[in-house]
Amino acid sequence: MLSRVAESLFWMSRYVERAENTARFLDVNFNLLLDLNRITTVETPDCWIALILVTSDREKFDSLYGQYGAETVTDYLVFNRNNPNSIISCIGLARENARSVIESISSEMWEQINNLYHYLQTVTPQSVQNDPFSFYREIKNASHLFQGITDSTFPRNEGWDFVQIAKYLERADNAARLIDVKYHMLETSHAGHGDVVSGSVDIIQWMAVLKSCSALEAFRKVYFARIKPQSILEFLILDRTFPRSINFSVCAAKDALWRLSGGSAGRSFNSADRLIGKMEAELSYTTMDDIASKGLHSYLAGLEQGIMDVGEQTHLTYFAYHTPEIEPVEEGLRTTFSGNGGKRAEWSQAQQQQQQAYCR
Amino acid sequence: MKRFFDNYDADASRFFDELVAREGGPRPHYEKLLRRFAMFSQEDVKTRREMTNIFFRSQGITFTVYGLEEGIERIFPFDLIPRVIPAAEWALIERGLAQRIAALNLFLYDIYHTQNILRDKVIPAELILGSQHFRREFVGVTPPQGIYIHVAGSDIIRDGEGRYLVLEDNLRTPSGVSYMLQNRQAMKRAFPVLFSQYKVRPVEDYPQELLRTLQEVSPPLQREPNVVVLTPGIYNSAYFEHSFLARQMGVELTEGRDLVVNDNVVYKRTTRGLERVDVIYRRVDDAYLDPLCFRPDSKLGVAGLINAYRKGNVTLANAIGTGIADDKVIYSFVPKMIKYYLGEDPVLENVPTWLPGTPSDMKYILEHLDELVVKSANESGGYGMLIGPESTAQEQEQFRELIVANPRNYIAQPTISLSRHPSLLNDSEMYGCHIDLRPYVLTGKKTTIVPGGLTRVALKRGSLVVNSSQGGGSKDTWVVDE
Repeated sequence: MLSRVAESLFWMSRYVERAENTARFLDVNFNLLLDLNRITTVETPDCWIALILVTSDREKFDSLYGQYGAETVTDYLVFNRNNPNSIISCIGLARENARSVIESISSEMWEQINNLYHYLQTVTPQSVQNDPFSFYREIKNASHLFQGITDSTFPRNEGWDFVQIAKYLERADNAARLIDVKYHMLETSHAGHGDVVSGSVDIIQWMAVLKSCSALEAFRKVYFARIKPQSILEFLILDRTFPRSINFSVCAAKDALWRLSGGSAGRSFNSADRLIGKMEAELSYTTMDDIASKGLHSYLAGLEQGIMDVGEQTHLTYFAYHTPEIEPVEEGLRTTFSGNGGKRAEWSQAQQQQQQAYCR
Repeated sequence: MKRFFDNYDADASRFFDELVAREGGPRPHYEKLLRRFAMFSQEDVKTRREMTNIFFRSQGITFTVYGLEEGIERIFPFDLIPRVIPAAEWALIERGLAQRIAALNLFLYDIYHTQNILRDKVIPAELILGSQHFRREFVGVTPPQGIYIHVAGSDIIRDGEGRYLVLEDNLRTPSGVSYMLQNRQAMKRAFPVLFSQYKVRPVEDYPQELLRTLQEVSPPLQREPNVVVLTPGIYNSAYFEHSFLARQMGVELTEGRDLVVNDNVVYKRTTRGLERVDVIYRRVDDAYLDPLCFRPDSKLGVAGLINAYRKGNVTLANAIGTGIADDKVIYSFVPKMIKYYLGEDPVLENVPTWLPGTPSDMKYILEHLDELVVKSANESGGYGMLIGPESTAQEQEQFRELIVANPRNYIAQPTISLSRHPSLLNDSEMYGCHIDLRPYVLTGKKTTIVPGGLTRVALKRGSLVVNSSQGGGSKDTWVVDE
């Protein structure tokens, strides 16, 4: 498989997953606010800041809007084309990546992503405001449909593995960020309102975290009605059966990476294999006490860094166009993996600008 | 119920109408179509129109319009009323094209080798040697089996008498063949019954024929040749076509950055390392192919590709330098080439053409600017044209200056009223729109022409310009066995 094709499949998959996660956060946040308004006078801007923190573009947001509220945050995360992580940007980028490998994916996959793209062109901020639930459901369903179509029409070859790696790395990364930010928010909000209603607010907020991962029902089946922060964290980070937990996602990404290289435990062929194997092993043997002693925030930061490193090594192993033995290139000119964080889409953007400039 | 064609005004005394004969009444090969359409209400047709629109949009069959800040994607307008060509007429077109491409290939071989046609003064040498598409670096380089034009798309029109004439030859990277194939898909979905009433010859094997042609012209190998399609990328206006053809042939679609040359051999970069490439169906212009040979600023090309090609390690389709033969000035010499190389009379005539470089022609052109069509020799897509009867005195003056300043760069032709074909304007009105035809000719060990082609329609009242960039559309082309 061409390296460029593998890379485009990777990003296509990643952007679809990212759009779905953003839709999920926003949807849950709307619900959460409706609930909170009934019980407490918690300042809602806090809840909206959390969403910006999850996508880690606070500076950019501040420079554009400066005010946290349903309208500005929705605009930034759904419609803003200058925000590479907005839903409209993600789907646009996913479609462009799909378009550039249209001969490698099934026509059903292409049609699904293309239809989603065209649907988004017809949506207005007004219509989302009037009926946020339908809109976010549409995005989530479209993503699920895309993944389902991929499941049933895409051959289980190399390309499939790149699609899986991307999907699960993105998912693990999102879960880690979400927990990290929510934890941070709860800590601060506790300080202000703890004395009066903290109990019920806490529970509702923690339920929101679970819902953001579509994990509430699954969680209840394991822990019944005992919604305690400890159990929730355990479930979202360490559970091996729930498909949106960090452990599950890392495991799935590891399987795909090892299938690609033919690697296995104790027998890794490249750094990506080794790093993901290490992450998986660590997660398998970690307890909540370990996490507590390390501190939740620094533990999650470590996970996020690990996920980014795996992405970068995957890039170097399979996508990097550079062929050292044939064309020695100066260090600065290499195409690099842009990784996660606020600059996530930089690489794709550079690619597009170049092509556009030379094709007129 | 208002029926289609009831109010259709063929204006058959002024134009050649494809459906209505001069003496009135439909031509026999359109009778079944008329009967079928008589059964449709406007509502039925609208439903079918929506069906095809959804089909094209969801398949992503779009082209990009340039000139704005960002390219805009549009559906290529599709007209629901198919063009029907009887087998006997098709046989003539087929013979004419095969003959023409054979002569053009011999011409290219000659020009890049002994140049007999220049020595014998059939074509003035300065026209060739002064052309921006003449690649002097490739004199003496022989592509596999001496074939230059693997894929050609010549434009054919019908004049007032209904004679088929060649309007121009597209010999570099002719596009539109994917629309021919998708139009057929759309028609089969929208009009299954009508379709089954005709014996329409299939066009669906074009991708297989293209692949076979490309494999046949590979450098000699002990194994199956490795073919790729080379595209400038997703922002190119014909990107849909590039990806479609790669998909249909089952070969890889590559961009310049996917390829690398080492030791005069071309490789593609894969997740498992480098793999050798033998044949490149390139949809990138000569000038962008190799920054070491042509434009040094090209990011679309592959450094070292040209040397690999010179060494005979890779085949490029079409060959480098074919542009010289689709220069519009050179076009006017094709009938002479057919005589010179094949000793035959041309089966398909050219449109009469005047060259400003010839003093008597120059005089005639300048005196008749208001009746002629003046075209720039190296522009395509309907740009750089003057349509005399539709132009203002000011535009004519502007072209007069351009022609006098650079006579080599222009040709002039009479304004031909292209034949007309009933088409649906705004979904309701039947109107005679001007059309042309672009069939596709493949040349490997033998020449193949799939029966049909892209019929382009000027979907504007009275317009003669069929190019998609100028608001033109297309319709399905049915070659039928009676």
